[in-house]
Amino acid sequence: MIIRADLHIHSCLSPCGDLSMSPRAIAGTLASRGVNLAALTDHNSALNCPAFDVACREAGIAALFGIEAQTREECHMLCLFAEPETALKLGEELYAVMPPVPNNPGKMGDQVYVDENEDILGEVEKYLVTSADIGIDELADRVHELGGIAVPAHADRPAFSLVSQLGFIPEGNWDALELVRLPLSEPAARELDTRGYPLITSSDAHYIEHLARRPFDLDIADAPLLRADGRVDMETIRAALARRPR
Amino acid sequence: MKTSELAGYLGAESLNTEWTDRDIKGVYTTDLLSDAMANAVDNGILVTIQAHKNTVAVATLKDLAAIVVCNNRPIPDDMMEAAKEEQIALFLTKESQFVVSGKLYQAFKA
Repeated sequence: MIIRADLHIHSCLSPCGDLSMSPRAIAGTLASRGVNLAALTDHNSALNCPAFDVACREAGIAALFGIEAQTREECHMLCLFAEPETALKLGEELYAVMPPVPNNPGKMGDQVYVDENEDILGEVEKYLVTSADIGIDELADRVHELGGIAVPAHADRPAFSLVSQLGFIPEGNWDALELVRLPLSEPAARELDTRGYPLITSSDAHYIEHLARRPFDLDIADAPLLRADGRVDMETIRAALARRPR
Repeated sequence: MKTSELAGYLGAESLNTEWTDRDIKGVYTTDLLSDAMANAVDNGILVTIQAHKNTVAVATLKDLAAIVVCNNRPIPDDMMEAAKEEQIALFLTKESQFVVSGKLYQAFKA
């Protein structure tokens, strides 16, 4: 079976995410645009994942619960899990090692988390788009320890990426690489060594209109998308990612 | 030194005019935005090669007077737009962070 996936999405919790990006609005829009598998990946926080869980179930979308973590190197990494609780756990760990820079909502944007009815539950105090004191390798290992999938985000982008921060794609414990667009355009197509990692693209949506732009197709063959408990089967996703073009 | 004196002092190109002239309080040089967020000086200058709109976001957060982009790094339109909106002075120079920091050190050392 081929499923359409968008694994990099920001909600109203990200300061740069639009306030209209509630988990409910995101799930409804994704469903209307034919996405079957979606991950919520706010900056350094998973606090909107519980609401995303409910909203995706109602919209008939298989959900992954994630974080776009920012590492010590200032690389962004998608950390994806089958359960909201695991994403929340990693979020707490990151929050503990983030610098105490308070968010300034007026200047940087709101960082609100909501319930499934779009009622605001609270606001995150620390500014979320900052570096947690953890390196890329250490983070990937931790994600795998927690049963998750680690994908360096927009690896070819001129900011907050492996290429912008390190100058190249290093070998690491990555389940795939997210690139801004596929196929790569020149000169990156010629010059960027993606080291044989499976490649994906995502919307990186911060606004409703961007949801499901640049989705990718994941061939899960005849493996189950969901486990018996209704959560996404991570083994299936891992195996399907491994079959993506490299 | 005031923001308006920077271009002349550094031999840098001034890229925008939408800013208020201020007394500059200090200088910080880094290419890690999280480092800038932690250590840049309020009402100061950030010397960097990070030419993208996130640098302007940090400058806004830290209330910086100016960003000096080194090595003639190309400035994307959205960075120009953000600087205009946030009233952050943007300068571009062909020199390296080392050279620019050295010049500014002469002017700002206590």
